[in-house]
Amino acid sequence: MAAPMAGPRELRGKPASPGRALGPAFRAPAAAAPSLPAGGDARAALAAAVTLAIEELRVLAAGADAQSAGVLDFQIEMLLDEDMLEPALRRIARGEGAALAWAGAMDAHIATLVADSEAHDKDAFAESVEECSAGEDAFAENVEERAAGEDAFAENVEERAAGEDAFAENVEERGSGEDAFAARASDLADLKQRVLDALAGRARADFPEAAIYVGQDMPPSLFLAHDWSKGGGIALAAGSTVSHVAMLARARGVPMVIGLGPLAIPSGQPLLVDGSEGLVRLDPGEPVAEVLIPPAIPAAASVPPRAEPAVDAFRLSVNLNSLTDLDAVDPAAVDGVGLVRSEFLFLSPAEALSEERHVACYRRIVTRFAGRPVTLRLLDLGGDKALPGLIEGGPASLLGERGIRFLLAHPELARIQARAILRVAALGPVSVLLPMVTLPAEVTAMAKLFDEEAARLARLGVPVRRPPLGIMVEVPAAALTLDLFAEAAFFSVGTNDLMQYLSAAARDNPAVAPLNTGSETALFRLLAQISTAAHALGKPVSVCGDLAGDPEAVARLMALGFRDFSVAPSRLPALRALLRRPAMAEG
Amino acid sequence: MSEFSPAFPRERSGTRWQTEVEVTHGIGLHARPSVAFTRLAKSFPCAIEVAVDGSADWLNGKSIVKIMGARIRRGTRLRIRAEGARAEEAIVALGELVRRNFDEDRKHGRPDGRPA
Repeated sequence: MAAPMAGPRELRGKPASPGRALGPAFRAPAAAAPSLPAGGDARAALAAAVTLAIEELRVLAAGADAQSAGVLDFQIEMLLDEDMLEPALRRIARGEGAALAWAGAMDAHIATLVADSEAHDKDAFAESVEECSAGEDAFAENVEERAAGEDAFAENVEERAAGEDAFAENVEERGSGEDAFAARASDLADLKQRVLDALAGRARADFPEAAIYVGQDMPPSLFLAHDWSKGGGIALAAGSTVSHVAMLARARGVPMVIGLGPLAIPSGQPLLVDGSEGLVRLDPGEPVAEVLIPPAIPAAASVPPRAEPAVDAFRLSVNLNSLTDLDAVDPAAVDGVGLVRSEFLFLSPAEALSEERHVACYRRIVTRFAGRPVTLRLLDLGGDKALPGLIEGGPASLLGERGIRFLLAHPELARIQARAILRVAALGPVSVLLPMVTLPAEVTAMAKLFDEEAARLARLGVPVRRPPLGIMVEVPAAALTLDLFAEAAFFSVGTNDLMQYLSAAARDNPAVAPLNTGSETALFRLLAQISTAAHALGKPVSVCGDLAGDPEAVARLMALGFRDFSVAPSRLPALRALLRRPAMAEG
Repeated sequence: MSEFSPAFPRERSGTRWQTEVEVTHGIGLHARPSVAFTRLAKSFPCAIEVAVDGSADWLNGKSIVKIMGARIRRGTRLRIRAEGARAEEAIVALGELVRRNFDEDRKHGRPDGRPA
């Protein structure tokens, strides 16, 4: 960049994502990550979310017509009832996060209603369903019933005349009155979602568009919730070039500088972030037009359609972190999707706990890649990938309940995702990657879960296909024992995590980052072993970490026998050029 | 203490008041009547419990989860008891609410009787 002018002050950090951005500073709240009351206080978080949900319902009810207000009042009363919260609070006492506890308790409640309705088959439910489905009968019987009372019939007629949908309402009421299963279940599902949204709403604190985010570090969920299409950048006091948020920033083309040290930049201060040079300039004094690099999604713009087919021996796939990435990639220019980081698709516990939301996301990906293979990785939550209320994350969880460990400990969540994937797998070639696998037993457990959900859906007549399950090779214990993973259909090496677990140096801790990057020799020795083991087993193996996006490293990987790479959209052109070189191809 | 509905049948045993009403509402205690009932119950400081058709199981009359769970239908004999401050007033008010079919005659009013 140009030499600093007289006036402006410069702060030197490290480049984390190239490009330049100019904009007003947005100073992140002190705690860096706006989130729910940290760690311990899930009770308080849930109580606050319920209060918020009640307030919202009251506002809605105040402006609603009488009938809608009736429904809303019912929901308000349910939320006000301590008996409603009690099961969720019990789950929290057992250590669950607020959102998971609430969703789990509500699902159990809804399941009880359904079970009840089945148990009462001969009783009211059947009767009520019969009545509801056969409208005329219901009407007749209703009239009969009401005729018993002196003015009941007149009232009934009046009621029908009064509301345009009085009949439907009446049928609904009968359902409610006699057993209420359907109506109550849908009310509960509605309440479940509203409280989850409230939990998420408090967790999400977006900042103005085109602003420069200034803070200690940045949670990936905040990055993902923000609209970067208007520009903007990131300037962090700490941070790491290999953190998830840096990875996301590079993939999205958002300029980012890290390691700036203590920052005293007030909100509103004009800043220039130069992510290529690792500089931040205060009061840049340059006209915006001259400096501002069109934010764009360079990944998108810079991916030219493939002119010639890639050398057959190699497969080049793309990693997707978001549906924005999806729109930016030309499906015809790649061999498929090597890694969908599903945990980045859902910005709130409410979304992550919604099977339909999962289905909608996966369906879009599979449909867009019409026929090309799509590899969906199960939610890899933990570490710096938190969903407040569902999982708080934090450095401790890097060696704790992360990835498949968290999923197996919270099977409700895993089952939601499994069902969605089973459904979408019926539409195209989908395979599933299990994150953070350490032992073969974890694969067995997840395979069983998929089999159970597949059988359940099949019984309901839902079209499903059971996708092959592969594992991420990122825990050294698994990397060293691939021969024991007979149950895994394929392997995918996550070099970022493998490196951090090999070096025992957290990738987003600047103090030990040199140890992390310095452990490359160890990493390549292990990679050689992984390649040999995978080929001996005759199972496909790919590399999907950042290493696969680095042409120099890819040359070394190819020398070790790797032929299958999956990279961020922005790395596609470089990799494509490399893989087309005949010399390389022969190597 | 009898300024409210002197005619409403009720019994007293010590500090506890109890009454019994038949649910005549065409549907029973579905969502809206349950809201009306629990909201009214919660407006009293005393403990309020209900039991259905001679059951010995007394349920918290201020909990809509419990009231809905009891599946109270038309023809159900509903016993209501209250203990504590304004107990007599509470059972009379609740008993009358049931008798008035939860004010649902006011078809387009709100379930708790507030104007729409």
